[in-house]
Amino acid sequence: MTSGVDPAVLYPDERAVPTPVLRARRRRSLTGRHEARLAYALLLPALLVILGFVAYPFVSAVYLSLQNKPVGAVGRFVGLANYAELFRDEVFFQTVRNTIVYTTVGVSLKFVLGLTMALILDQKRRFNNVFRMLLFIPWAVPVVIAALNWRWIFDDLSGFLNNFLITVGLTRDIISWLADPRLAMGCVIAVVVWQGTPFYTMTFLAGLQAIPRELYEAAEIDGASVVRQFVHITVPRLRTIFLTTVMLSTIWTATNLQFVLILTRGGPANRTEIFPHLAYVTALGARRLGMGAAVSLAFFPLLVILIVLLTRRMLRQTDD
Amino acid sequence: MTKTNVTRRQMLKTAAAASLATTGPWWLVRGSHAARAKKLVFWQLPNFTPLADQLQKEQVYEFAKSAGLKESEVEYATVANEGFAEKLAAALEAGNPPDVARLYESNVQFYAAQGHLLDVTDLVDKMRREPKGIFDSSLTAVRYNGRAYGVPLAVNPWPVHARIDLLEQHKLDYPKTWDEFIETCKKIQSPPRLFGFGMCLGLVEDTTDNVMNLLWCYGGKMVEADNKTVVMNSPENAAGVKVIEAMFRTHKIIPQGTIGWDNSGNNKAYQSRQAAFVMNPTSIYAYLNQSDPDLQKRTGLFPVPAGPKGTINLIDTWAFGAFKQNPYPELARGLISHFMQPANYDKIIQSTGGRWVPVYKRLFDSPFWKSKPEFKHFVSMAETGRPVSYAGSPTPAAGEVLNTHVIPKMIQRVLVDNWEPPRALEECHRRIEEVYARNLKL
Amino acid sequence: MPRTTSGTRRLFRWIGNGLLLVMLVWTLVPFYWMIATSLKADREIYGFEATLVPHHPTLAAYVRLFQQTPFLKYVRNSTIIAVSTTAVSLVFGCLGAYALARLRFRGRRLIARGLVFTYLVPPSLLFIPLFAMMSALSLVDTHQGLILAYLGFTVPFCTWLLMGYFRSVPLELEEAALVDGCTRLGALIRVVLPMSLPALAVVAFFSFTQAWNEFLYANVFVNSVEVRTITTGLTLFIVEDVFFWGPMMGAAFLSALPPLVVYLVFQRWVVKGLTLGAVKG
Repeated sequence: MTSGVDPAVLYPDERAVPTPVLRARRRRSLTGRHEARLAYALLLPALLVILGFVAYPFVSAVYLSLQNKPVGAVGRFVGLANYAELFRDEVFFQTVRNTIVYTTVGVSLKFVLGLTMALILDQKRRFNNVFRMLLFIPWAVPVVIAALNWRWIFDDLSGFLNNFLITVGLTRDIISWLADPRLAMGCVIAVVVWQGTPFYTMTFLAGLQAIPRELYEAAEIDGASVVRQFVHITVPRLRTIFLTTVMLSTIWTATNLQFVLILTRGGPANRTEIFPHLAYVTALGARRLGMGAAVSLAFFPLLVILIVLLTRRMLRQTDD
Repeated sequence: MTKTNVTRRQMLKTAAAASLATTGPWWLVRGSHAARAKKLVFWQLPNFTPLADQLQKEQVYEFAKSAGLKESEVEYATVANEGFAEKLAAALEAGNPPDVARLYESNVQFYAAQGHLLDVTDLVDKMRREPKGIFDSSLTAVRYNGRAYGVPLAVNPWPVHARIDLLEQHKLDYPKTWDEFIETCKKIQSPPRLFGFGMCLGLVEDTTDNVMNLLWCYGGKMVEADNKTVVMNSPENAAGVKVIEAMFRTHKIIPQGTIGWDNSGNNKAYQSRQAAFVMNPTSIYAYLNQSDPDLQKRTGLFPVPAGPKGTINLIDTWAFGAFKQNPYPELARGLISHFMQPANYDKIIQSTGGRWVPVYKRLFDSPFWKSKPEFKHFVSMAETGRPVSYAGSPTPAAGEVLNTHVIPKMIQRVLVDNWEPPRALEECHRRIEEVYARNLKL
Repeated sequence: MPRTTSGTRRLFRWIGNGLLLVMLVWTLVPFYWMIATSLKADREIYGFEATLVPHHPTLAAYVRLFQQTPFLKYVRNSTIIAVSTTAVSLVFGCLGAYALARLRFRGRRLIARGLVFTYLVPPSLLFIPLFAMMSALSLVDTHQGLILAYLGFTVPFCTWLLMGYFRSVPLELEEAALVDGCTRLGALIRVVLPMSLPALAVVAFFSFTQAWNEFLYANVFVNSVEVRTITTGLTLFIVEDVFFWGPMMGAAFLSALPPLVVYLVFQRWVVKGLTLGAVKG
């Protein structure tokens, strides 16, 4: 290190680095064209994978949604007829509402819980390593197993939860967790949060671990309270990580059908029907691949808008 | 130190690779399919007992040897039920389905209608020529346009599994009518530990089966025998639905949580001794045979109680289908023929512990069936039983109705959304009509 | 006069411990339930009382698991596939993330967003055209085929997450290295990566676990026992409407162990790396 003071302390928020300084230094290292070429070279493997294994099926999914195509049969182009049929169905609007609720509540809870646990696990403590490992368990178990396990826990007759509550005396009657229209969505979200929180915990923790302790020590010397330290040191450092995690998790949550498929199958009476599940039942139950693709794609615009909005600020940051 | 400098050659190579990557898949998929190294591909779904699985595997390789195939030319893949639909769909779309696989009910007609299955009428006729022949009820599922495209391998009644020990305890007989059934349940149940009727009411296939079976006893049905006229909104169906509603709400003999059950819900309820009566194929019975002989002793298998319009029992059929994409159709047909030779077939049937009910009538005379009093109704149930699509046959439309849970949604409209039965049936009728109309156009 | 924060810190520590306890219970109860089930006899699994501690613990489920399925073969396959997927994803991800985080070039924003767009079409729809491609390329029933399919899933998120972490590394450190005559790649390897050890560990870990636990592709793209993974082996214990819970939960428990052990090891390595001064430069 050439300078005496740790630059990380001088400029904790990278946006605060004066741009002329950055520009000057950059110009000395590479020209714009070389930079671009290097970038493409570095991105090439990732791009190949994406184009080869995702872009092509993506395009074919779009084309599929414009066809009447039963499994195994030849497709027939029908334009937007699938979408028209979808929008006419009253279940569609309920599905939209359910998906929005499910995703928003799920992601919010995961975020809050994940951040809280990350902060807690960042504190010095004996056996922290073991605790981190234990908290990772929901992610280490296959989704199918986790969902089946929870369905059994929620089972009305022989489920652990009811048994426990009745034995302990908290309730006298059996509660039909997954069959009660008022409780079903909450239960599904609980399982989603159970399984997905470790993703947040661990990504945030990794971010926290990379923040040098000197920053906090320096701030403490300056008299900043714990809360102020959090707001002025931790949050700016983690902002990008927050965004990347939430972005990814939102899409994963919104397109995951496993929990609904195993826990409630969209019931009771469509209370937990969400897009990915509806698409699945249509594509493989009714065996209408074209229609299934249309259901899947119908939710895209919402997600695309969300992605663009959330990533706009994040991606703008170091554009000089 | 040299700076990283991406040369023009590297850029060209990159561009070439990128364009190849994006367009490559298009060429390849449109082009040739992978050359088949295997001459016989069999997808085995678990047969319920390890012994049955083992026997089936042996029979496959036995046949292969007799047909002059090397072991490396045979592919024997065990495929779980979970994910079977996805696997088969993907295989069909890619143009390489298995040669032989076990297909459920309407799947035979679905794939036959698309021209994927081999005509196996001669194999079925051979089976019918056996002494005593086969249950004709098993043929409704496999026939399409007058020809058979699947070879029925099991015709499974859905008896009522009943706790005869509880009946004895309360000095009651098995109820003959649904009204008696309700009274019996009320007498023997003691919620929350024990409920009378574990009727599946979740958004799964078991619900369609349970509900329709009851509606038939009240004179209702889904579609007429012409497989076109949907009759879901009939007053008979409404009468039956009202009975279910009464059982659920008024008499409370059905646990409230059945709304959230899946196909294993009634199995679990019966096996954990929390339901006295359930309607299910004999998978429960076979499980008890393996793992809970005590409960098995207390279990009786009975036909469904009668409604004002009598009793109609439910059966479903499993069949072997041979896919046409196979360059060696004779091997596929030969394998099925080998499976269905009565001696081979009987071995597997008996090793499933009662899960598969044989299609050959003669096999019912064997000690395995004759020695068990619980099977005494089975012959008549297999003979007179009807598929869930009654009065129609398991057509692709019926299959879609089953797979998309149209009827369970109707029941949940009544039980969860508090709709009047006629209103719920009207919506259900409309949706089923839509499905049938669409499938007729194919 | 400096305000002491030790009081607040202690309060937060106690709150933290309390919340940690609650979270641990909430997280572990289902897992414990899984293990307990695998040790119960069938009769007890289906009992009315959901017994917390097995009354007659038995290893019968595990015996059945090993006798009736080639479980170790499944473990071998899962390992090969998960490790390869992780290694490749990390490399591709690091390179791509560095480009997106630090370099300026046309299409940067589009490519970055594109990474996230790739998840809009979920595997539940993607698997059919993907299988058609695999079939045509003769990649069905191979380890490589499955690895390539998994890369399609793990590479975008590795790149995306690492991009986020790399951007949190202070620019100054890299600038200093570049001024000293380092190449861009050198800066990546010498400055950015050591500072991102926790991030690398986490991302590697997620890739490994996702490949390890994936079901849909593993089920559709693989037929033979020689290539089959644990998750598809697990589902063989669901026969239509009968669940053989004992062996299924036993297999699930055993299957969860490798990721957890790997995580524990990774964590130690990361902490060691950090305390050895990687962060301090």
